[in-house]
Amino acid sequence: MAGQVTHRVARTGDNPFLKGVAALSTLAGWVSAAMIVVAVGITCQMIFVRAVLNQSTIWQTEMVVYLMIAATLIGLPYVQRLRGHVNVDLVPIALPPAARRVMACFTLTLSAAVVAVMLWYGFDYWHFAWERGWRSDTIWGVRLWIPYMALPVGFGLLLLQLIADLVALLLRIDAPFGLEES
Amino acid sequence: TELRLSHQWSNNDVRHKVAQIVADHVAEADVDLEIKIFGSKSLFKPREQYKPLSRGQLDMTVFPLSYAGGQQPAFNLTLMPGLVKNHDHAARLNDSEFMDEIEAKMAEDDVMTLVHGYLAGGFVGKDKCITKPADVDGLQMRAAGKAFEQMLAGAGASIASMSSADIYNAMQTGVLNAANTSSSSFVSYRIYEQVACYTPAGEVALWFMYQPLLMSKSKFESLTEEQQQALRDGAAKAEAFYLEEAKKEDSDSVQVFKDAGVEIATMTQEDFDAWREIAKATSYKNFVENVPDGQKLLDMALSVE
Amino acid sequence: MDPLILGALVAICTIAVLFSGVSVALGLLIVSGGFLVMFDGMRSLELMPELFFGSLNSFALLSIPMFIIMGASIASTRAGADLYEALERWLTRIPGGLVISNLGACALFAAMSGSSPATCAAIGKMGIPEMRKRGYPDGVAAGSIAAGGTLGILIPPSVTMIVYGIATETSIGRLFLAGVIPGLLLVVLFMAWSLFSTWKSGNAQVLTAGSYSWRQKFEILPRVLPFLIIILGVLYAMYGGIATPSETAAVGALLCIVIAMVIYKLWSPSGLWVILRDSTRESVMILFIIAAAGVFSYMLSSLFITQSIAEWIGTLDVNRWVLMGAINLFLLVAGFFLPPVAVILMAAPILMPIITIAGFDPIWFAVVLTINMEIGLISPPVGLNLYVINGIAPDISLKTILYGSLPFVGCMVLAIILLCIFPDLATWLPDAVMGDAV
Ligand code: NA
Ligand code: NA
Repeated sequence: MAGQVTHRVARTGDNPFLKGVAALSTLAGWVSAAMIVVAVGITCQMIFVRAVLNQSTIWQTEMVVYLMIAATLIGLPYVQRLRGHVNVDLVPIALPPAARRVMACFTLTLSAAVVAVMLWYGFDYWHFAWERGWRSDTIWGVRLWIPYMALPVGFGLLLLQLIADLVALLLRIDAPFGLEES
Repeated sequence: TELRLSHQWSNNDVRHKVAQIVADHVAEADVDLEIKIFGSKSLFKPREQYKPLSRGQLDMTVFPLSYAGGQQPAFNLTLMPGLVKNHDHAARLNDSEFMDEIEAKMAEDDVMTLVHGYLAGGFVGKDKCITKPADVDGLQMRAAGKAFEQMLAGAGASIASMSSADIYNAMQTGVLNAANTSSSSFVSYRIYEQVACYTPAGEVALWFMYQPLLMSKSKFESLTEEQQQALRDGAAKAEAFYLEEAKKEDSDSVQVFKDAGVEIATMTQEDFDAWREIAKATSYKNFVENVPDGQKLLDMALSVE
Repeated sequence: MDPLILGALVAICTIAVLFSGVSVALGLLIVSGGFLVMFDGMRSLELMPELFFGSLNSFALLSIPMFIIMGASIASTRAGADLYEALERWLTRIPGGLVISNLGACALFAAMSGSSPATCAAIGKMGIPEMRKRGYPDGVAAGSIAAGGTLGILIPPSVTMIVYGIATETSIGRLFLAGVIPGLLLVVLFMAWSLFSTWKSGNAQVLTAGSYSWRQKFEILPRVLPFLIIILGVLYAMYGGIATPSETAAVGALLCIVIAMVIYKLWSPSGLWVILRDSTRESVMILFIIAAAGVFSYMLSSLFITQSIAEWIGTLDVNRWVLMGAINLFLLVAGFFLPPVAVILMAAPILMPIITIAGFDPIWFAVVLTINMEIGLISPPVGLNLYVINGIAPDISLKTILYGSLPFVGCMVLAIILLCIFPDLATWLPDAVMGDAV
C-alpha cells in the first residue's frame, strides 16, 4: 500500500491455457453465486412453511448449509482469480522487484502444495463416503458423497487457478502479487 | 503409548467422569499407556467423532451412538422411542443378543465398545405438560434424534431441528413450545427458566440414548496383553459408576426443576403404550423399511425382558 | 516438546508465513499442515479436508453471506446517496451538518450491512467528494468515512459477532444487541471529533453551508423509507420470535434485492451480477478463512497448545485489568495484520477460558474485541477500509487518509476505556430485551 496499484483481476494475455483456466474459474464463480441465491430462496421458503403453514421443515436447514459449503469451495478459484483472498503484502511491497518475484513463486508453490494435499485427501474422503454409502444423520438422510463432492471439485479448480497464476508469473504475463511497478 | 480420547462434554459431566475413571485406572496400572482426554469438543465437533474413529485417526470417544446412524443405520435403534423402559432394563439390554448384533456392525467400521451406558431424558412444555401423544398436537417441537422427530410428527407436532444448546433461546423467542432431550442437558442449559412443566424419566420413560465409550478396534488389538487388560479393568469400573450416575442424573434434574418452581408431570404406563403405538406406525416402521435386516434387529431389541 | 515452546514456534511460523504475502486462509492451511505432519503424523494430515468441511457445517454461518448480500445490494444502488442526502437536508442547520450526516448515514447503513467495507463504500462514494467540494479538509473527509464504515461490524447485524457467537457458543441475538449502545457511543465520539477538527482547521464557514426549504426536506423522506422497513423488519423477525439470525438474514437479503430491483429499478442482468459478484467474493473470502481457521484451531488443540496456554495463564497471578490490557494489546496488534474473522477464530479458543476465569462477561468482551478489530480495519498494513477509501478517492494520499483516521482510533480507544469503566454500556440492552444471560 505504498504507492503501488493493485489490479483487480489476474491477467491472462493471449495464453490459451491461462484463458481456459480463467474461463473455468469464472464459470465456477457463477455456479457459486447461483448456489448462494438458491440458499436465500430455500431459507425464505422454510420460514414460510414453518411460520405460516405451521408445518415441519425436514430438508431445508441441511440443504442450505450444504449449498453454502459448496458455494464456498466452488467459489475459491473465482475469488483467487479476482484476487479477493486477503493477504498481508507489507513485505512483498518492500522487496525489490527480483526478490518479489522469487517470493511470489515461493508462496504460490507452497499454496499449490497445500491445496494439492487438500485435493488428495478430499478426494479420499469423498470416495470413502461413497464406498461406505454414508448418509447424513437426519430424517432427510442425504447421501453424503453428494455434498462432499464439493471438496475435490473446489480444491481441484483452485489448484488449477494457482498453477495458472504461477505460469502467468513465470511467463511475465502477470506481476508478482498483482503489484505493478510505479 | 498415548491414546487420544475425544468427547463433547464439560469436565463435570458424568460422561467425562467415565472417561476419566478409565484414564486414571490405566495410568495407575503402570503399563506404559496414557489416555489424553480432549473434552468440550476441543478436538472434533460432537457429530464428527465416529468417522475419524473408524478411520484410525482418533483412538477413543464417548459418543451417542445414534449420531452415527448415517454410517450404520442399525445404530438408530439405540435411540428409539419406547425401546428401553428404565435404567435396569437398559443394563439388561447391554448383555443381550441385540447388543452383540450392534457390536458386530461397529466391528465392520473397526470400532469396539469399552464401556456401555444409557442416559435418559424427558419432555418440557412451555405452557403445559407433555405426557401423552395428544398433548403435542399442533406444537412446535424440538426432539433429540430423528426417530423421536418422526414419532412426534406422527402425533401432530411440527418439528424444528436444532441443537440442545439452542433450545433456551428458541423457547424464549417463542419459536418452540416444547422440547425433548436428556436430563443433564435440561439442567446444563437452564431450560427450567423457560418452561411451565417437566416430564422427567421415571418408572417408565420414552427417551433413552446409548452413549458408550468406544475405541478403535485395531488400535486396541495393537496394544500388549497387559495394556488391554488394564483398559478392560478400567472399563468395568467405569461401567458400574455410569449406571449409578445415570439414575442419579434423572432424580437430580427433577430437584432442580422443582426448585425453580416448575410443575413436574409423570408419564403413566397407558401414556407410554400410546406413544409406543404411534412409534410403531412411524419411527419403527420407517426403520424397518430403510434398514435391510431392520425387522430382525427390532425384534431382538424388543425381546429383551 | 513442551506445548508452550511448540506454541511459540507455531506463532513465529504463522507470522513468517502470513508476512510472505500468501493469502491468509491458505497461510493458515500451510502452517496447520506443516505442524500436523511434523508433530502429529500423517493421520492428522488426512483429516484436513474433513475438518475444513466440518468447520463450515453450521446453519448459523449461513447468515454471513446473507448479511453481506443485504449490504451489497443496497450499496449497488443510489440508496446510499439518498440516505446521506436526506440526512444532510435535515441536519444542515447544525454546524458541520455534512460530516454529521455522513457519520449518521454510516451508522444507519451499518444497521443493514454485516460488513465494514460495504458500509464504507456505500456512503463514501457520495460522501467523500461532497465533503471535499464543500471545503472540508481531506483528512476529515476520508478519515470520517473510513472510521464510520467500521461501525458495520459493531452495529448489528455483524459478521464478526456471528463468528464470535459460533466460536464461543454465545447467543448471536444477544451479541447483536450488545453492539448497539457502544455503536451509538462511537458515532457520537466520531461526530464530536469531526466537528472539533473542522472548526480548528479554520474553514468555519463550511459548518453552516447549504440550506433547504421544508418542502425539500419532506420530499426526500419517502426515499429513506425502504431502509427503515428493512431495519425494523429484521429487528422484528429476530427479536419477535419469528426466526433465528440466519433465517432473518435470508429474509433481509431477499428484501434488499427486491427493493434494489423494484424501487431502484435495478433490472439489468449486469447490474444484478455486480451485486452477486461482490457478495460472493466477500462471502467466499470470509468463509474460506473461517474454514481454514477451523483446521488451524484443530492443530493447536491436537498439539495441546490451546490447553497449555490457558493453563499457563491461569497460573499467572496478575490483576485482571492488567490481563485485560495485555489481551487488548494482543488483539490490537493481531488486528493490524489480520482480518477480524481470522483474529476472532484464532484467538477465541485460547482467550475464552481466560476471560471467563478472570470474571469478564463474554458478551461484554465481544464488544471490546470488535472495537479492537475496527481499529485494525483503518490501520496499515491490512486495513480493508483504507483500501476502499483508496479506491473511492485515489487522489487523497494514503498518508492523509491515515493521519485523518488516527484521531478516530483515539475515539475507539476512549470507547474501550469507557466500556471497561461502565460495562453496562454493552450488557444493559441485551439483558433488558432478552432477560438476564444464561
Ligand atoms: Na452492521
Ligand atoms: Na489493519
